[in-house]
Amino acid sequence: MSLLELSAITKRYPGVTALDTVDLTVEAGAVHAVVGENGAGKSTLLKLVAGAERPDAGEIRWDGAPVTLASPRDALRRGITVIYQELALVPTLGADANIFLGMELARGGALAADAMREAAAKALAELGLFIDPAQPVSRLSVAQRQLVELARALVRDARLVALDEPTATLTAHEVAHLAAQIESLTAKGIAVIFVSHRLDEVRRVASRITVLRDGRRVWTGATGEVDEAALIRHMVGRDVAYRRHAAGRPPDPAPLVAVRGLTRAPAFHDVSFALRCGEIVGVAGLVGAGRTELARALAGIESWTTGDVTLAGAPYRPRSPRDAIARGLAYLPEDRQRDGLVLRFTVRENITLPVLQRFAAHGRIRRAAETLAARAAATAVDLRPSPPDVERPVTLLSGGNQQKVVMAKWLLTDARVVVFDEPTRGVDVGAKVELHRQIRALADAGKAVLLISSELPELLALADRVLVMRAGRVAGALAGEALTAERVMALAVEAL
Amino acid sequence: MRRDLVARYGVVIALLALCAGAALFVPGFLALGNLTTILLHVSVNAILALGMTFVIVTGGIDLSVGSLIGLAGVLSAATLTADGTLAAVGVGGATVLAVLVGTGAGAAVGAANGALTAYGRIAPFVVTLATMTVARGAARLVTGGVPIGFPLTGDPAFAQKSAALDALHAVGGGRIPVPGLDRGFPMPALIMLALVAAGAFVLTRTRFGRYVYAIGGNEEAARLSGVPVQRIKLGAYAISGGCAGLAAILLVGQLRSAGPDAGLLYELNAIAAAVIGGASLLGGVGTAWGALVGALLIGVLNNGLDLLGVQSFWQEIAKGAIILLAVTFDVWTKRGHHHA
Repeated sequence: MSLLELSAITKRYPGVTALDTVDLTVEAGAVHAVVGENGAGKSTLLKLVAGAERPDAGEIRWDGAPVTLASPRDALRRGITVIYQELALVPTLGADANIFLGMELARGGALAADAMREAAAKALAELGLFIDPAQPVSRLSVAQRQLVELARALVRDARLVALDEPTATLTAHEVAHLAAQIESLTAKGIAVIFVSHRLDEVRRVASRITVLRDGRRVWTGATGEVDEAALIRHMVGRDVAYRRHAAGRPPDPAPLVAVRGLTRAPAFHDVSFALRCGEIVGVAGLVGAGRTELARALAGIESWTTGDVTLAGAPYRPRSPRDAIARGLAYLPEDRQRDGLVLRFTVRENITLPVLQRFAAHGRIRRAAETLAARAAATAVDLRPSPPDVERPVTLLSGGNQQKVVMAKWLLTDARVVVFDEPTRGVDVGAKVELHRQIRALADAGKAVLLISSELPELLALADRVLVMRAGRVAGALAGEALTAERVMALAVEAL
Repeated sequence: MRRDLVARYGVVIALLALCAGAALFVPGFLALGNLTTILLHVSVNAILALGMTFVIVTGGIDLSVGSLIGLAGVLSAATLTADGTLAAVGVGGATVLAVLVGTGAGAAVGAANGALTAYGRIAPFVVTLATMTVARGAARLVTGGVPIGFPLTGDPAFAQKSAALDALHAVGGGRIPVPGLDRGFPMPALIMLALVAAGAFVLTRTRFGRYVYAIGGNEEAARLSGVPVQRIKLGAYAISGGCAGLAAILLVGQLRSAGPDAGLLYELNAIAAAVIGGASLLGGVGTAWGALVGALLIGVLNNGLDLLGVQSFWQEIAKGAIILLAVTFDVWTKRGHHHA
């Protein structure tokens, strides 16, 4: 008997059928992965399992009996815990308080703080996390916070844990740790639903895989029966590989940007490299290697203590992002929803934000010129559906299209240097390939591109050279024949 | 989509419904004289709500505007009736100077609020709570606690001072003759309409306005896009303070005197009007016309209940209920976007 059985589940929202007669069977003690492009229906499926939404048709069986999961509280009570990508922890409270949130231990009306702290520490230790459970979770890394959520599931005696994109922001090392913890959950007889974009990890942790596409289930089977290329084919309904995007032109001989000995302890130390027009320099490394900190320093968001940078031969030390933009450097932040977009704004308003002065005569915005420029930039990045509707609120766009809006916005600034931080994170495969083409096109148009990515295939497909950072230092630079996934990974993880 | 329209024009519909109800059940409500009186009565609050909207859209709050009415009022009245100014620049010059001093004082304190919030990174609630207290104290200090107003009969400059107060009264209490309107159209209402129109233009058509919305919508994204976040915030608070200064002058003109305790708790009415008008205290949302409609809604409600002879205590309860209704309605319409 299966622990959880969804049969012919259908869920409609106004204007879209998010799930169309989908079946899913999850066994106790096993990991079942659900993969698919953005918009395939994975999130909706999780919401149904979590009790946050109810299906319009179909049946959910739990432990063999039909059930209605009326609310998240109801699902929790039955032993179902869903861990969302945006972790649901109270940042100012400790791990102990978070773990027991909503089910606090109390004695005579007073919280049994010591007992909870002890139990929390024990649950965390079981997951290989040895921290003071009383310190605010805001001080923990994303990986550690995930373990806190897992510990919460353990303390609740969850029988099914569903994880939504748990590895999106983790380093290879952290992913390995999480995979081991997931395995230990299954050893306890807990069922796991694992939703992810990263197919290699899916194949590593899951015994069965279900592929969703456009709200339908297109394939279910054992992990051993399928290779990565076949999975991608199922997901997109066509063959997609990261084709190597060859440079359309040789880079300029002289560097546009020269970074020498840049240091801000403890984030980065003695970083030196050169960046030329027409080339893409990749930056590889584990999360915490100092890549984002380096990029933010170059973008004028944070500063550096020693070292110097020249841009086009002149000293470069931006005092603010505004300053950096004026000098011709654009930075596309990693978290586009938090740092890249004003979600209440339309596509047009987002795209023109950095260059509004161009359309403003004495402060007054010339709407016609603004619309024209926004439309041209949106078309240039191939925003869908085409021709692009620049008056749509960006909240209504998919992740891939949102990222295109961010790109269009920075294209308009006519920057000479473009710094990408994880440009395709959380973007579906089809849009990824399109973004890769755009990034290469930027370099071919003579821009100097710095590309931070945790996805090795992406770096291999795009970068002319790759700097590998480790613990704040440049551990090595690879190019040409030497640029292989194995070499990059080896430099990134090498023991200190 | 329909929900969208209801969300956008909900307050206007509510205002029209309230007016229709008042027209049916409140004798005398529809008289032109009464309608212009409503406009006159809401003008101060609407102007405060307009400035407040700029601040609220950036995600801030300005508690100091009520006290600024007191401070800017006594400063402009003191300027107007000072022997020195009258002797130096005459009645006309003193009037202009008084308007400049009042508005300038408001804008200056507002700019200080903005500077402390934007550059000092202090929570706007705390900053403006402090300036609210300081401004009220300063107003009482300037006047010694008693209103500045009509000159004593023995004053050697009695005629001049009366003339100066009359000049300011033309601004704050004057009526523009309009055919068909017995008492004419109130000057403060006209100023209010002009200011709201100007505010709407700034918010929707200028770079500054776009930046105000961007900061309230996502401050970090705005900063990374090169928006001068601190300068814009300072500007928003200065506008709020400047609006308070102007409102103070209208009030002084209306009453022909300036009391240090004028405008007590007006900041709460202004916040109420802005919120009823659709501004979100989370920032990023709000309009100039919304602030006016919010102020009108409160004004019409008060006027209708006044005409019906309802106790003022009930009027307060009704105002509170309207605020709750407006916010509930707002939440309800937003919920519709979830699945859109």
